[in-house]
Amino acid sequence: MTLLRMFLVQTKSNFVWYFRRDGEMIFWTLAMPVFFLVLFSFAFSSGPNSGSSQFLVPGIIGAQVLSSGFWGVGVMLATFREKHLLRRVYITPMPPWIFFASLVVYRMALLAAQAVILVTVGALVFHVRIIGNPAEILAILLLGTATFVSLGTIIGALARTTESANNIASILTVPLAFLSDAYVPIDRFPHAVSSALRLLPSTEFIDTFRDVSVHGASLAHYGAWVLMLVLWTVAGTVISARTFRWV
Amino acid sequence: MHPDETSAPVANGAIVVDGLVKRYGELEAVAGLTFTVQRGTVFGLLGRNGAGKTTTLECCIGIGRPTAGSVRVLGLDPTDRRDLARLRPRIGVQLQATSLPEKANVGEVLELYAAYYGIAPRPDEMAARVGLDGKLDRQIAQMSGGEQQRLALALALQHDPEVLFLDEPTAGMDAFGRRILWGEVERLRDAGKTIVLTTHYIEEAERLADRICIVQRGKIVAEAAAAELVARYGGDATVSIAADGFAPDAELQALGGWTRAGAQWKLATRGEPGLALAAVVTRANSLAAKIDSLDMHRPTLEDAFIAITGETLEETG
Repeated sequence: MTLLRMFLVQTKSNFVWYFRRDGEMIFWTLAMPVFFLVLFSFAFSSGPNSGSSQFLVPGIIGAQVLSSGFWGVGVMLATFREKHLLRRVYITPMPPWIFFASLVVYRMALLAAQAVILVTVGALVFHVRIIGNPAEILAILLLGTATFVSLGTIIGALARTTESANNIASILTVPLAFLSDAYVPIDRFPHAVSSALRLLPSTEFIDTFRDVSVHGASLAHYGAWVLMLVLWTVAGTVISARTFRWV
Repeated sequence: MHPDETSAPVANGAIVVDGLVKRYGELEAVAGLTFTVQRGTVFGLLGRNGAGKTTTLECCIGIGRPTAGSVRVLGLDPTDRRDLARLRPRIGVQLQATSLPEKANVGEVLELYAAYYGIAPRPDEMAARVGLDGKLDRQIAQMSGGEQQRLALALALQHDPEVLFLDEPTAGMDAFGRRILWGEVERLRDAGKTIVLTTHYIEEAERLADRICIVQRGKIVAEAAAAELVARYGGDATVSIAADGFAPDAELQALGGWTRAGAQWKLATRGEPGLALAAVVTRANSLAAKIDSLDMHRPTLEDAFIAITGETLEETG
């Protein structure tokens, strides 16, 4: 009861405070993926109705999951530490998992909004169709979010300052988005390269998500990759928990 | 430091710090601190910035891990995960950097912290207590440093903790804020709470603390009640008089040591300077000596501080 109230009030506070602070940034968070979709759809194809939008919508959503974990959680935590917010909450009776869970809920709500907007624009303008099983789509999306939140938390744990967290997140997010089948198909690379890139958790997640959502594949056929993502998540969580500093 | 001033760790103290050492790499921030804070008392850690006061306090609340030595708060060990979990609801902390979410408003933060402690929020009451009544809608980012400090105090108090840790609580506060904080500390002490505060303001330590612990370069150099520190280290009280034809008689000679510089006579006494002053004036009048100037100085805590540490509290001093 007490824990539930803690979680609800913390989550409500996250929404109210972050929206108040990041109002403009949230607009861009929602608008940029649509901009990417439109830009890349026309850049990589002759126009609407081509296959590339079908490729791009899940790819861009996947890239947003990555940056949500690295920026939205990792860099945010480093900022909180730098501003001494973390040490202040550390001395209260709130269990750490409540703090993380409410942060993740906030990021997931933003991701959901991004996904809904992308899918809607994709469907209306580019005739993208999501034909997969909704439960499986949600499952892979949640697993991917868990993976990149846990990996992002490592950034938040290890970076000494907001600035260094920012740098680490940039170095990871931008190349990964281009090397993980998000914006451009990696099978355009030589076979050896694309095989290597498929070992990245980001590639495994984005490919699985794409196949399940727009190709209607069954998640059951992706057992190995789901297992890899689970392992990445476990590794990320263990490393984060071991290295996280509140002060 | 006299050995009898070291409070040996006492098992039933609210806070027992024993041989605390904290090193950050080469820097030894705290170099072996031992003290006990009795329940229901106010304990002041007085010293310059960088003396190790905040580090000591951080070790008491589980933020800093001692390099050596031990800390017990309410019998619990802040370095032990389970003990710390039991300790957290029972302590209230006002940190130096106010560390509040800048886009939150006063009412929201009070509500959130009430949820952290599982208590009913009392935003109006708490805001009024720290002089923020009618300001529940104010955003932290728009508040002055002093107002933020007062909100931080309200967050430390809202769950009615048994032990309070206040780190430089009046730094950046105006006279209004200081009055509020001092009033709260006195009220809480009367209610039986234990309070540890760090400060580099002499008046604050003298007014609030039952015991003052003077910290210099990570070590305790004296620990006693303010009056005791003054009596032991403050030196003699003095009475100075400049009056034509004045000279102390045998009775005045007995009060202490006299020195003379021109027409200026000066008495250094261990006795009550007020009485000495009266006797000096009586003597001058009986000699019909016209008094040009008259001065009395009672030793202060600042005198004691300077005598003990060899420096003033002012950073530039």
